[in-house]
Amino acid sequence: MDTIVKRLIREVRKGNQQAFSEIVELYKDKVFQVAYRMVGNLHEAQDVAQEAFLRAYTNLDRFDIDRKFSTWIFRIATNVAIDRLRKKKPDYYLQEEVKGSDGLTYESQLASDEELPEDQVVSLERQEWVQAEINQLPVKYRTAIILKYIEDLSINEISEILDIPPSTVKTRIHRGREALRKRMRHV
Amino acid sequence: MKCKQYYEELIQNVLDGEATEEEKKILDHHIKECEPCRQHLHELKKVIAFVQSSSHIEAPLGFTESVMAKLPERKPVSKWKQ
Repeated sequence: MDTIVKRLIREVRKGNQQAFSEIVELYKDKVFQVAYRMVGNLHEAQDVAQEAFLRAYTNLDRFDIDRKFSTWIFRIATNVAIDRLRKKKPDYYLQEEVKGSDGLTYESQLASDEELPEDQVVSLERQEWVQAEINQLPVKYRTAIILKYIEDLSINEISEILDIPPSTVKTRIHRGREALRKRMRHV
Repeated sequence: MKCKQYYEELIQNVLDGEATEEEKKILDHHIKECEPCRQHLHELKKVIAFVQSSSHIEAPLGFTESVMAKLPERKPVSKWKQ
């Protein structure tokens, strides 16, 4: 994977714009996933994910090719998402949007090879509930929890992405976990 | 409800996968006798399982095309600011 990405990045740097579409293809789902979990609604997630790739494209010359591209793109994506969350709206409003998913349906976003329709209804409800609980977390805990448990990244990778020491990552995960526990314990 | 801070930290370490075998044994032993700590560990594990079970969401159809349609010109000295 890394070798392919390096080659593609070099291509883009040489002026082959089309090579960038292959990079987007490789990372779009992961980036979209982080964006969606962070902002909690599909339209906004699409904006955030697009913006992240556009920024990556314009700044591609600054990317250190010996590092992991995924770390870099996650870093850009979380920054874009955090900016949005700061600027746009207070948290309670975000909650509203999780429920009324506008236009795009939640269902259409699920991988198609999963489960039968009946099971899906139950699991969709739970999905929405889990997402709503994640969205209740303060942004810095939310980010750490998403990267750790949904993207399954190591403490060190998260530390690089968020540009904070590993010990701080751990503290945020602990606090996020604890906050979720208090909210979800009676289920 | 609150047990000693020592055990609280031990629970976090175990969940982070950073506890030694020795520490795991200490915690195992402790939770056999301490209901609040047992409950606490159980609830935290449940939270992790819930979050991990969130199914993976994919980027919408046409995502790549719409990114590509918006790409600015790349110039050696870029005037584009983020």
